[in-house]
Order: sequence, then structure tokens, then C-alpha cells
Amino acid sequence: MAETKSISMSVKIGTLKLKNPVMTASGTFGYGGEYADYVDLNKLGAIVVKGLSLKPRAGNPPPRIMETPSGMLNAVGLQNIGVHTFIEEKLPILRKYDTNVIANIYGETYDEYKKVAQKLTSAKGVHALEVNISCPNVRKGGLSFGADPKSAAAVTRKVKEVTGLPVIVKLTPNVTDITAIAAAVEKAGADAISLINTLTGMSVDIFTRRPHLKNVTGGLSGPAIKPVALRMVWQVLQKISIPVIGIGGIMNAEDALEFLILGAKAVQIGTANFINPQATIEIIAGIERYMELNGIKNISKLIGTFRS
Amino acid sequence: MKNVYIGEILRNEEIAQDCFLMRVALHVSFIDPRPGQFVMLRVSGLAEPLLSRPFSVCSFERQNRSCSLDLFYHVIGRGTQILAGLLKGTQVEILGPLGRGFEVAGHKKNIVLLGGGMGMAPLIYLAMQLNKDACSSSSAMYFYLGAQNAEAVIGLEQLKKLSFTIFTCTDDGSMGEKGLVTQIFLKDLKKFVPGETMIYACGPKPMLSALAKILQKTKYPCQVSLEERMACGIGACLGCAVAVKRSKKSSLAYKRVCADGPVFDINEIVWK
Ligand SMILES: Cc1cc2nc3c(=O)[nH]c(=O)nc-3n(C[C@H](O)[C@H](O)[C@H](O)COP(=O)(O)OP(=O)(O)OC[C@H]3O[C@@H](n4cnc5c(N)ncnc54)[C@H](O)[C@@H]3O)c2cc1C
Ligand SMILES: Cc1cc2nc3c(=O)[nH]c(=O)nc-3n(C[C@H](O)[C@H](O)[C@H](O)COP(=O)(O)O)c2cc1C
Ligand code: FES
Repeated sequence: MAETKSISMSVKIGTLKLKNPVMTASGTFGYGGEYADYVDLNKLGAIVVKGLSLKPRAGNPPPRIMETPSGMLNAVGLQNIGVHTFIEEKLPILRKYDTNVIANIYGETYDEYKKVAQKLTSAKGVHALEVNISCPNVRKGGLSFGADPKSAAAVTRKVKEVTGLPVIVKLTPNVTDITAIAAAVEKAGADAISLINTLTGMSVDIFTRRPHLKNVTGGLSGPAIKPVALRMVWQVLQKISIPVIGIGGIMNAEDALEFLILGAKAVQIGTANFINPQATIEIIAGIERYMELNGIKNISKLIGTFRS
Repeated sequence: MKNVYIGEILRNEEIAQDCFLMRVALHVSFIDPRPGQFVMLRVSGLAEPLLSRPFSVCSFERQNRSCSLDLFYHVIGRGTQILAGLLKGTQVEILGPLGRGFEVAGHKKNIVLLGGGMGMAPLIYLAMQLNKDACSSSSAMYFYLGAQNAEAVIGLEQLKKLSFTIFTCTDDGSMGEKGLVTQIFLKDLKKFVPGETMIYACGPKPMLSALAKILQKTKYPCQVSLEERMACGIGACLGCAVAVKRSKKSSLAYKRVCADGPVFDINEIVWK
């Protein structure tokens, strides 16, 4: 179709240019290559890889997942190959694709965050960092960095100090006031904010009277969390002026459009990849079709058009 | 690009208590599964259950213009209850074939299969494959089949068409010998020479873990097919972890049942 050619879906997150606003969510798309047989990775706005730590991590014992009404709980426990192996083995594969690679990072200390950020900044082929602050701060007795505006801001500052790459800070919804965290992170120099990470939940096996997950609690994702994610994105948008990336229960183009209309510059697709490996591609096509039908030539004319 | 296949249910019948056989017609482009591989299945257009469910390939046939896939499934929860109610003609979405299958060692002198309950599903497909290979070799093939009771025995019909020596056993003795499949097998173990034997097993965790104990200090090679809850089925979510032994460090390591398995060397697994 000649007409679709005139539609522009490109967006900017700080200095990062995306061909469209659709990215994969960390932890749901492996290191990218896992989906290469199913998805033309060149078509994605960005690939956000599984959370990387300084050293490889084994993760939690199984069972790690459980389906719940309209969602799933996971307690993978941030299993990953470590930043070094990622750079050596996975990044060369990703470099072959014409898309942005966003490295999701986390640490248990400020120093770990810094070191992981440094290593990825000097590696070729990483276009931005997404800082996962939902993980426990060992020095604060396991309370997450993202649960407190001060430590959230401190992580942001430490990472900003060592990188020139755009820094996206990913917020946890397991807090009393997410807007306070968002504001603190913006002030600390974040280039963008992504939200939400999973909501902490539980599920009980009534036959064994034990938790379904070995870890007892897990992170809830999928359609069940979309209304919460939309509410939090909306609240955060009123408080800050850096770009916001919407995440949470996006299963199709309609769901993605809800976030874009609210004002999210981009979206991330997580659990939907498990149900349909081509979910991202179908969502991109669906947004394009919506723009066509509504005579919208540039996606910037759609983003933030919410009328309250 | 690989994609999800839309299949059409050709039959979906209860063949034993709470056990169903589903035959699905698929497009010719569906790749021939290897024994031990599985598929992720969901009902087209249904939002619930959210995640697709993994099922082993139990049989696969290729015709001129289409192919058909057989699955054996046990009704144990919400997803399989929904499957049990599906009528002929219903569309299902199938992702696969997935995982690494069994290494088919048709050249071994003795081939021993141990199946318990629903673990029969992948073994039937393996048995058919071995049977083809064995026609041209001189292997002796044995099948130890276990179930809770006579009503729950599945796959016997299919097996009887193949050249296996079959031993059946049930927990309550209502068919074959009374006892666990691993106990019946243990009595015969000495008959097989480790270097000339290949053992394949699939079944409930306690059965496989009992087998691991039996074989622990022996030299019998044994491939087991494992199950774990899955989300993606293609190695991306790390949800289907199984603990494996690590040679160098004392710390635990995990492998993905979907992508690194579902078939593993029995000695590699940490059985608790
Ligand atoms: C590689 C592989 C091959 C399989 N092949 C077969 C097969 O050929 N035939 C068959 O009947 N089943 C097979 N299974 C198990 C099957 O996937 C589960 O029985 C099914 O997902 C249960 O779905 P449900 O919605 O009915 O049950 P749910 O309501 O999801 O769960 C009911 C119970 O089953 C357990 N369970 C759920 N999913 C799994 C799982 N993936 N593995 C083990 N236990 C599970 C739960 O812990 C729970 O106790 C296989 C599993 C794997 C991983
Ligand atoms: C299996 C699984 C693993 C995840 N791993 C990570 C991770 O390593 N780092 C991270 O920041 N978020 C991780 N997440 C959270 C997702 O990126 C996303 O924020 C969340 O799942 C909500 O989106 P969804 O409803 O579209 O899945 C993970 C989610 C799932 C389901
Ligand atoms: S089911 Fe996702 S990695 Fe195995």
C-alpha cells in the first residue's frame, strides 16, 4: 500500500530514535536471539534484553511460574548469564540487526550498578540502558532500591555518572506513591522512565497447602495488571516531563494504543510474547492500521491526546 | 519465519479414565517432529487459559496434502478440562515442534523403555521410530509400562503393533504385575549389559527419581524426558528451570526444560 508509506511511527526517547514505539519487555524476550526464528527483529523499535548483573546468577529453584486469572506469577530470580558473557556471546548476534538494543541492568549495590553500566557503555552495540530498580538493596536489608525516592535517585545518579548512553529507569509498582519515585529519578538525571515492573503476588495450592511458587511470592504480569499500569503511567505523566514508556499487560494493538493515547512515548510488550511469539509485530501493524483509519500521519499527533 | 500453526481437531476422545487422545490436522509445512519433542497448544480465540500448554508428540503422520499430530493428555486442571470439551472441527493454535528430542540409538543391542502414566505419550512416538530402525538391526526392545490401575493403562494398543517385549504393571495389580514400574524393571536389570543398552524413560517425578537411584552407580546410559510448568516454550522466559549438577562449582545451576530438554541424561539432573 502506497499510503502506509507516508505514515511515520518513529519516536524519540531522549537521544534514542526508534523506528516505532514498540519494544520488548526485559525478561520476556531472552537475549533477542531466542525469538529470531519467529520475529523479524529488524522491525522492532527496540529489544530490551533480560536483566544483566555483574556476575552470572543461577536464579530461583522451580517451580518458578504459575498461571493466575488473566495473568501469571514468575519468580525467575533474575537468572542471567552476566554482563561479560552477554557482551562476548549475545551482543555480536544482536549487532547484526537494524534495531536498538537496550540493556536492562541491575545490581545489589550501587557499585554493581555502576560496573555493569560501565561495561555495557564501552561495548559496541548497546543503544541505551534500562535500570531495573525493583531488586533488593542488600545494604538496606533487602528493601528494593525502587521503594524509596532517595535510593532510586542515587542509583540513577551513579549510573548517569559512568555512561553517556540514554538512561531509562524502570519503576516498580510495589510502592505507596510511584509519582514521588518518578520525580526523584527525573531530578537525578534520568532520560526516561519505564513502568511498570511486575506487581508482587502469591498463589496457594489448596491440596498441598503450600505456595505454588517455590519462592512463595512472585511478580504478576499479563492482562490482569493493565489497569494498574495505565493508572500509574497516567499519574506519573502529570508529575514529570521526561518521556515515559508504558508497560503492563499489553496483549494487542488496542492495549498499546491506550498507553500511547495517555501520553506514553513508547510501550513494551512482555507476557504477550509467550502467548503469541509474533505479538510485537502484530501490535506494530495494528497501531499502523489504527493511524491509517483515523487519518493520523505522524504518531506524535496521537501520543498524549487523552481527554480527561 | 516460523509461526504458530492453526490446526483443526479431527478427533478428541476419552480413551481411558480422564485420558484423551486428540488428533489435529496441520498444514503440510509443519516440520516432522523428532521423538521427545513437544508442542505448545492453545484454543484459537480463547483468552483463558492465558498460557499455552505443553504436550508431547505422541504420533505424527504425513499425508499428501496435510499432516496429522496425535496428543495424549490427562485431564488434571483448567486447561486440560477445556481441551476435553472440544469438538471435532475446533481450531487450535500449535507452536512447534519444540525442544530437543531423544537421541535415537537404534544400534544398541538392548533398548529399554520405561513409561509411567502420561509419560507414555512421548515414548509411544519414540517406540514407533525405534521400531522402524530396528527392522534393519537386531536390537531387542523391551517396554515397561506402568499405571495406577487397569483403567489408566494407555498406549498398550499402539505398542502391541510394534516388536517390543511388553511388561505391564499397576499399583493395585489390576493388570499385569502388582508394583511400580521401576521395581519390575530392577528385577530384570542384570539381563542387560550396560555398554549394549540404552534406556529411555518418561513418567511422574517420583518414578524418574527412583530410576535415577537405581542407575546411580551403574554405567547404563539413560535418557529421561522431564516436565515443568512453561510459559514461552522456546527458551526465553526461564520459567521452566530444572536443577542440574555442576561439575566445577558447588553452586546449583539450572537448565531450561523447553530448550535444553525436555530430554536429559538422567545423571545430569539433581533429583530431590
Ligand atoms: C515437555 C512437556 C510435555 C508434556 N507432555 C504431556 C502429554 O503428552 N500429556 C499430558 O497429559 N501432559 C503433558 N505435559 C503436562 C501438561 O503440560 C500439563 O498437565 C498441563 O499443562 C496442565 O494444564 P491444566 O491447565 O489442565 O492444569 P493446571 O490447572 O495448569 O495445573 C494442574 C496441575 O498440573 C500441574 N502442572 C501444570 N502444568 C504442568 C506442566 N507443564 N508440567 C507438569 N505439571 C504441570 C500443576 O502444578 C497443577 O498441580 C507435558 C509437560 C511438558 C513440560
Ligand atoms: C518471566 C519474566 C521475567 C522478567 N524479567 C525481568 C527482568 O529481568 N528485568 C526487568 O526489569 N523486568 C523483568 N520482567 C518484567 C517485565 O519486563 C514487565 O515489566 C512485566 O512483565 C509487565 O509487563 P507484561 O504484563 O507485558 O508482561 C519479567 C517479567 C516476566 C514475566
Ligand atoms: S518455558 Fe520459557 S524458557 Fe522454558
